[in-house]
Amino acid sequence: MSSVRAGMKTPLGRRTLLRAGPLAALGLSAAGALAACGGGSGGDGEAGDGTGELNLIYMGDAAQQETFQSLFDEFQSSHPEITLNANGIAAGDWATFGNTVSTRIAGGERADIISVATEGQRLMSSKGLFEPLDELIDRDSAETEEFYDNVSSNLQGWLDKYGSPDGSTYFVPGGYNTVAMYLNRDVFEAAGVEIPDTDWTWDEFRTIAETIKEETGAFITTAGAGFPFGQILPWLFTNGASTLDAEWTTATFDSPQAVEAAEFVKALVEDELVPQPGGEFDGATQYQRGSLASLTGGRYTLPDVRRLEMVDQTKIVNFPNNAGPGTPIGWDGWAIFKASENKEAAWTFLKWLMTVEASEYYAEQGGTNVPVREDVAASESFLNNAPEGTELIATGIEFATPVPSPDQQALVDAEVNKGWEAAILGNQPVQEALSAANEAMQELL
Amino acid sequence: MTVQVPPEVLSAGHDAPASRPARARGRDTLAGVVFLGPAMLLFLVFVLGPFFVAIGLSLFRWDMLTEPEFIGTENLTTLIADSSFYNALRNTFLFALASMATHLVAGFLLAIGVNKLRSRVASYFVRTSLFFPFVISWAAVALLWKYVLDPTFGMGTYYMELVGVSPPNWFTDPQWALPAIIGIDWWHTVGFTFVIMLAGLQTVPEQLYEAARIDGAGAWQRMWNVTIPMMSPTIFFASVITFIGAFQIFDPIQIITPNGGPEESTLSIVMYLYQQGFQAFQAGYASAVALVVFVIMALVTAFQFWISRKWVHNQ
Repeated sequence: MSSVRAGMKTPLGRRTLLRAGPLAALGLSAAGALAACGGGSGGDGEAGDGTGELNLIYMGDAAQQETFQSLFDEFQSSHPEITLNANGIAAGDWATFGNTVSTRIAGGERADIISVATEGQRLMSSKGLFEPLDELIDRDSAETEEFYDNVSSNLQGWLDKYGSPDGSTYFVPGGYNTVAMYLNRDVFEAAGVEIPDTDWTWDEFRTIAETIKEETGAFITTAGAGFPFGQILPWLFTNGASTLDAEWTTATFDSPQAVEAAEFVKALVEDELVPQPGGEFDGATQYQRGSLASLTGGRYTLPDVRRLEMVDQTKIVNFPNNAGPGTPIGWDGWAIFKASENKEAAWTFLKWLMTVEASEYYAEQGGTNVPVREDVAASESFLNNAPEGTELIATGIEFATPVPSPDQQALVDAEVNKGWEAAILGNQPVQEALSAANEAMQELL
Repeated sequence: MTVQVPPEVLSAGHDAPASRPARARGRDTLAGVVFLGPAMLLFLVFVLGPFFVAIGLSLFRWDMLTEPEFIGTENLTTLIADSSFYNALRNTFLFALASMATHLVAGFLLAIGVNKLRSRVASYFVRTSLFFPFVISWAAVALLWKYVLDPTFGMGTYYMELVGVSPPNWFTDPQWALPAIIGIDWWHTVGFTFVIMLAGLQTVPEQLYEAARIDGAGAWQRMWNVTIPMMSPTIFFASVITFIGAFQIFDPIQIITPNGGPEESTLSIVMYLYQQGFQAFQAGYASAVALVVFVIMALVTAFQFWISRKWVHNQ
């Protein structure tokens, strides 16, 4: 089973170092690197004349790169005056992608455009690496207004709150993902259990899990740690809990609601209603074989379901809830580097991404996220050749919570994984495990 | 009979080097530079240069994105109080010592066994089989074992349960995670130690065994008094490179127990360095960790060389 979120799926001074004394004397080559990509002051590039070469960095595994490349080729065919050099990074998740990009930029790699996920938007925009887009958006309002009218107000609010340190706009949203459940109809039927309509409670989920186990021997779903977006946050958000507060400044991982969520999952593990965490298996294959009754995921799960020809045997429902519906949401945003010497061409590309044509084309090619354009997310381009209930992945944005993404995202995630794993496996008492993780997270924050 | 050597011959012989034309000496120097140059350049760029940069960086706070800030020895003082650093150091020493012991003993015994095989075909087959895992990439090996030991769907788990053994949850139980990694590392790399040992074993002169037999030495005495002393330089070499290699363990841990879990039970020093440098973006602190690791490895290796004087039998 894919363990990354989509966008997505499978989940940057110069003169500075001259002042750094010994480092400069040692010839630290990163100085030039940082200058190249321009953080802070003095890194401004040029607008350019809207033609020429563009270097673009984005995240994607081999399959995703193929899909993205067809999108870029489509742009290229309509804009022959611009040469787009796309550099896909096959990172396993957005945190790793962010780390890889930061290291590459420190190493001297230059780029004009980058796709950044929620997890890296606040950190990277706060470093002064990106060009504010507000003037360009206003200048070309005839083209951009129609786009923003079609973007969820929730998402626009989150972009302002979490994607900008100063109120400026740095990212053009591309797509998003929420978490839902893909149910295997055959397993439910074999167990004599009725498939929920759209929503179900934790209690109903547990009862169904017990029946399925008893009647078919199948596991209801998977549990574990290592991928908070799909494995931990859905349980927290459907119980009114989170790892951090809304400002991402205070750890809340040991709240009573979080402890209750961890205890619920721990019981699933102890009662063998889910496979024991800790190893590796192909979740999609087990789903096809009927050993797993469901897959937890977003749009990024669909390629596996299509590959296994399970579209018709699958129904998508919301993640089971206890305190109320909830799901994490993460989105990717396209930004222009401040040091880019071809900003007009870069802006042309971003404007093209905003169009219905580009959005539909990407969805049709197998894009692994929900298009931010609501008209496209509700269209056949997105819903065709997808299981019943696919629209729930898009409408989840109405009750979703942005994936907590503080500056020390990777390390905070590591603590979250550590605490959750210790809790659900019984290596430590649940409260003790989450409190220890919470304390470590707060230190990092 | 005395041989009279003409004075001019001696003189010519002694004066020959001194009388070489300066141009020839220049050519020799140039040849030396040409031959050594590429290696020296690579050494300067990729080893010595980064080493000095690391020393410099350890005095700064730098997130690789913004301006570095000079903080003197603050990174080192922070390191001294960092419990995760000590956990990583302890795990790494445990891993390296266990790895060295298991590799040396098994590599030696396997070499003895294979050396006794009379059939060339059998010998070739066993040698290839034992060395084969070593040529597989760490990523593939780590994933392979993660699948095999999956607690629910793993093939290894299935067969262990079939014979009545209830295996632990290898990679999520803090008691078992490090031993599991040690075992997987052993499976992957023991073939290399075996090949070194076999090569060393085949250099022991047969006449020493014959002499020992004539003196009435049994198999155990021949092993203890002939084989091991004669192989001690090989064993010493294997112990040094095994220890250094084990001290750098990273790949399997990153794949099997990401971030050194559970509960830091598999956190190695190189993984900790990676976390600080490329996840926390504390390049200065990571450099301080790297320098401390360098000093520790240098001390351990020096100790190994010092202690080797007491047991390595140099011919």
